Amino acid sequence: MLYLQMAITGISMGMLYALMAMGLTLIVKAVGVLNFAHGQLFMLGAYLTWMLTYSLNLPLWGVIVCGIIVFAICGAAYMFSVYWPLRNSSWKVTVTISTLGASIALKEFVQIVWGTIPLTMKPIVNGVFHFGTVYLNYQYIFIILIGGGLMALVYILFEKTFLGKVMQATAQDRYCAELIGIPTIVSIMATYMISMVLSGTGGWLAGPLFLVSSSLGSLAQKAFAGMVLGGFGDVKGAIVGCLLIGMIESFGLIITDAYKDAIVFAVLIIVLVVRPTGIFGEKISEKA
Amino acid sequence: MLEIKDLHAYYGPIEALKGINLKVDEGAAVAIIGANGAGKTTLLNSISRMVKTTGSITWNGQDLTVLNATKIAKMGIMHVPSGRHVFPGLTVYENLEVGSVNWHSPLKDGDYTKDLEFIYNLFPRLEERKNQLAWSLSGGEQQMLAVGRALMGRPKILLLDEPSMGLAPVVVNELFEKIDEINQQGMTVLIVEQNSKVALHHSSYAYVIDDGKITMEGPSEELANDDRIVEAYLGKKRG
Repeated sequence: MLYLQMAITGISMGMLYALMAMGLTLIVKAVGVLNFAHGQLFMLGAYLTWMLTYSLNLPLWGVIVCGIIVFAICGAAYMFSVYWPLRNSSWKVTVTISTLGASIALKEFVQIVWGTIPLTMKPIVNGVFHFGTVYLNYQYIFIILIGGGLMALVYILFEKTFLGKVMQATAQDRYCAELIGIPTIVSIMATYMISMVLSGTGGWLAGPLFLVSSSLGSLAQKAFAGMVLGGFGDVKGAIVGCLLIGMIESFGLIITDAYKDAIVFAVLIIVLVVRPTGIFGEKISEKA
Repeated sequence: MLEIKDLHAYYGPIEALKGINLKVDEGAAVAIIGANGAGKTTLLNSISRMVKTTGSITWNGQDLTVLNATKIAKMGIMHVPSGRHVFPGLTVYENLEVGSVNWHSPLKDGDYTKDLEFIYNLFPRLEERKNQLAWSLSGGEQQMLAVGRALMGRPKILLLDEPSMGLAPVVVNELFEKIDEINQQGMTVLIVEQNSKVALHHSSYAYVIDDGKITMEGPSEELANDDRIVEAYLGKKRG
């Protein structure tokens, strides 16, 4: 029964990483930039929902509705400040460097606005879920449900709606997308907005488990690891990879508590030695 | 009517086009032939605003040089780039569907049943393969898909960049017959080709471009029989 408990904890942690990794992958696919400020966007999500909940005293549904709107605006603002002005720069790494800058700026920004002392946040439902000998914080179950629901929504958006097709097309061949009349600015902006909604929600869900502090951003390391483990640049791979990372981390506790991060990255290294492309790392083979 | 006057294009310090003048009348099929590196692709990229230029490009009197690529497409000037630019991870149907974005908002689907029907009639093979991912198509089918997707945008003029590139002669003929068919239905076509023989055969007027300049022009039939063209581009001496 302890194992079940560990598995659920592992999956829900994995879900948090997956929310970040999905957004990261979408941005990589859309504009070819690895967003190093993604952990900080996650952290910003936690702070913003803290503000909505405790400074503006909104009820739960208000937090959710306003949260999504605020995240979408932040995503667009992030794109226009960090990506758009530099998109035609002759050195391709420029945008990546600017995301590094953005990560520092965001970290400093939240410390200026909300101070350096970590803030506490109540879980969505207080208390502990009790089943046989399994004891689980309700928050873990909410993470799995909300995270899974969001992923399903993103899947429907990309695979079933017209906008999703347009966004995929832009990601696959930008030059051609512009020639057939796709306003690429709109589809790239939509990608950033979705990406921010995903990680912001992750931050909101993670807030009660950890404290809301600027160090929440470091969870992105696990998201990066999950992305690489699953196969870089593949959304499905990123999700599976992150869930695996969460499980490894959780079950690693059996062996050692102090070195659980080390176990995660040791597994990552072993997988990469055996299968350098990651689990789902089969690229679409383009014909010459 | 598409009219280009004294067009210069630059890649950094390199002048790729050195003063091009040309005219494409409505409903015409015009070919531009020339060797590799003569500036053919640059010319099309200038019209669709993918490179910076000086000089004038007008479409029915409207200045195109002040617009961006997306707006050019919205005006009905549809550039089909060379090298089979299809969206590899989308199915054939989805590729065509996305092409319709040119005349409605990306947020919602439009009604394009008629457009689809027209394209499937033109290229029955696309209908057979409509649920296949685009990367898995053969070269000829990919080229047909690229043309079909451009037609989904309801263009007024098609700019075709080397449609014959890398295709077997049989497929090239088939493709050009389809292009003829599209042209006969009233579509203006501007074809840029290295394969001069096919291009001259399937056009009414032609320009020869060399080193960024137009060196010859005239009705395609006349050019096809011109000794200089025969020697330089058609690869055989007349006996």
